[in-house]
Amino acid sequence: MSGGVSAFTFLYLLEAVPWTLLLSFVAFLGGGVVGLLIAVMRIVPSRPVRWLATGYIELFQGTPVLMQLFIVYYGAAVLFDIHIDAWSAVVLVFTCYSGAFLGEIWRGAIQAIPRAQWEAAACLPLSFRKQLWYVILPQAARISIPPTVGFGVQLIKGTSIAAIIGFVELTRAGQLMTNATFKPMIVYPTVAAFYFLICWPLSLLAETLERRIDANLGIKRRL
Amino acid sequence: MHYVFHFDVVWDHFPELLTGALLTIRLSAIAMVLGLVLGVVCAYQASAGPGPIRQAIKLYVEIIRNTPFLVQIFIFYFSLPTIGLRLDANTAAMLAMTINLGAYASEILRSGIEAVPRGQIEAGRALGLSRLQIFRLIILFPALKTVYPALASQFILLMLGSSVVSTISAVELTAITNSLQSTTFRSFEFYFVATGMYLVMALGFRASFTALYWLVFQRGRGA
Amino acid sequence: MKTYLRLLALLVLVAGSTLSMSQPAHAETTLDKILKEKKLRVAIDVGNPPFGVLGKDGQPDGSDVAVARQMAKDMGVELEFVQVPSTGRIPALLAGRADVTIASISVTTDRAKTVMYCNPNGALSIVILAPKATAIQKPADMAGKRIGITRATLEEATVPKMAPQGTNIVWFDEIGATIQALLSGQVDAVAMTSFAGKTVADGNPDKQIEPKLTVTTAFYGPIVRPNDFELRQWINTWIFLNTQNGTLAAIYKQHTGLDLPTLPTF
Repeated sequence: MSGGVSAFTFLYLLEAVPWTLLLSFVAFLGGGVVGLLIAVMRIVPSRPVRWLATGYIELFQGTPVLMQLFIVYYGAAVLFDIHIDAWSAVVLVFTCYSGAFLGEIWRGAIQAIPRAQWEAAACLPLSFRKQLWYVILPQAARISIPPTVGFGVQLIKGTSIAAIIGFVELTRAGQLMTNATFKPMIVYPTVAAFYFLICWPLSLLAETLERRIDANLGIKRRL
Repeated sequence: MHYVFHFDVVWDHFPELLTGALLTIRLSAIAMVLGLVLGVVCAYQASAGPGPIRQAIKLYVEIIRNTPFLVQIFIFYFSLPTIGLRLDANTAAMLAMTINLGAYASEILRSGIEAVPRGQIEAGRALGLSRLQIFRLIILFPALKTVYPALASQFILLMLGSSVVSTISAVELTAITNSLQSTTFRSFEFYFVATGMYLVMALGFRASFTALYWLVFQRGRGA
Repeated sequence: MKTYLRLLALLVLVAGSTLSMSQPAHAETTLDKILKEKKLRVAIDVGNPPFGVLGKDGQPDGSDVAVARQMAKDMGVELEFVQVPSTGRIPALLAGRADVTIASISVTTDRAKTVMYCNPNGALSIVILAPKATAIQKPADMAGKRIGITRATLEEATVPKMAPQGTNIVWFDEIGATIQALLSGQVDAVAMTSFAGKTVADGNPDKQIEPKLTVTTAFYGPIVRPNDFELRQWINTWIFLNTQNGTLAAIYKQHTGLDLPTLPTF
């Protein structure tokens, strides 16, 4: 394989994009479930439950994703005698990672709901769980949409780290193509461009939503 | 399959791991300071500078925020030399981290700047202060105070993100951990301990930032 | 008489069942599992020419990949590749993600502490490579220069020992990055197998990369987990047969251009 960029190079990179998106999507969904659980755990009256959730968040927000991947991929499989392939390892790690960040975002959103809402809901014959589900969460959901979309962008970028353990997504495809073509000045900026094309619209969406929600809440932002 | 833990091997090499941790701290600290300065300059130019500069900064921020850090460091280390700009690994890592942080800091500061009450700025103008003076004396300090938590979080994310510079041969904790585990074959033990060290560093940075906040913003200084 | 016969029968019965109980049922070996599931999982490194590369069609190719394919065919089982980077060749095996690793793992005593080698199926040499202009004629010339080395390789184990004081060793996680570093001038020289070096030199004629020093030569072979004796024996038998019939030599020649040296056995 001699050096030189060809159509095959771009095609190979393009074919890796679905893997990046799939990983991000699956991790986002899984992380969403975990995040919801964590967010609720952070506001329940029981202190041990709150601490458990806080510990989880501290762990996944306080350690590098790369290390989390190394431990799961190279280490944990040996301990628990299970076969973890690259896909399972990255899905597991990014799900836990997303769960921690989404949990924090959503907890913040829930706690931003004024006390008055909780009190009003308590006046109605609703249990804590029903208050949460019917009154608080719908409002929190609206406020949390922009930062959640923002995190989606972070997640898509974060999946590039999976390349380091050999999982073939866009960044790893870039490494392999650089090895094949010996042209890093063409390949890596192309990879960056692909990420940009995916992430920038989402970033813009997050910003637009944020402005609209701020307007609805009566916050005027000086442009 | 039975796995016998050999943490004693890790303790034998602990001084090297400690060196790695110190290198990570040094790398991150320098990038934080430089990145913050860059962020302040960009935030100022983005609000008060001439049109083309404002566009350029917006472009810079959007590109950095919508592409993965890993790809950014690959471009700095592998791609740039092909057009004549060769940086050694540690310099490339430092530069990439600074530029990365600068973009995020500038964005974070922008929202802090917007939160400064208009009245103060108008008062400054009425008093005949120049734009730069208004920025320096009236806007900057309160803005920093407002966005301090977001900034501190971004700093810690940067420190954790520094683990990927090991892929371009920069020397810090992850690189040293990788070298040790590949020669001793004790991957789980080394990654486990290194992850713990990152966690300690993250908590340490957070505590330092809290102390710094108290020192700078809450000890008798008005506004 | 009848009672005695009955007692004798009872004794034989009891003795027989006790004996069969004291010998546990034959535990399933890795080889058994492979044959039962009809699947052989082989860890390969496709970033390591010519032993493992990614072909133009995106499929694995290379001398070790060809060996793996032939091995699975002769075993009569399906082949599953587990692609790993250089640092993952041994961990993937130990973690059970693969049954055997065929990725030019050179025979060293350190590795033999954690894995079990099968008989070698090839030989390689580690060389120091650099552009023509860089002067490295003896080990002492390496002082003051930056030498790029890939982790978890034979060069990692051997070059630091022969490099003089003042050599700046630069570490990379995979050979692709090491190669890029040489081509972009980030390092003055690199250490890798002569074959990989040839691939780099041929792919970049303008850089005039050439081997400067030979560090060491070694045989490499497939590795299995400790205690997988049955699998190792099967693989050794396979290597013996394919050395005799010339298959290994043909694969080696096709991918490296060299004649296969006489392979030792242990």
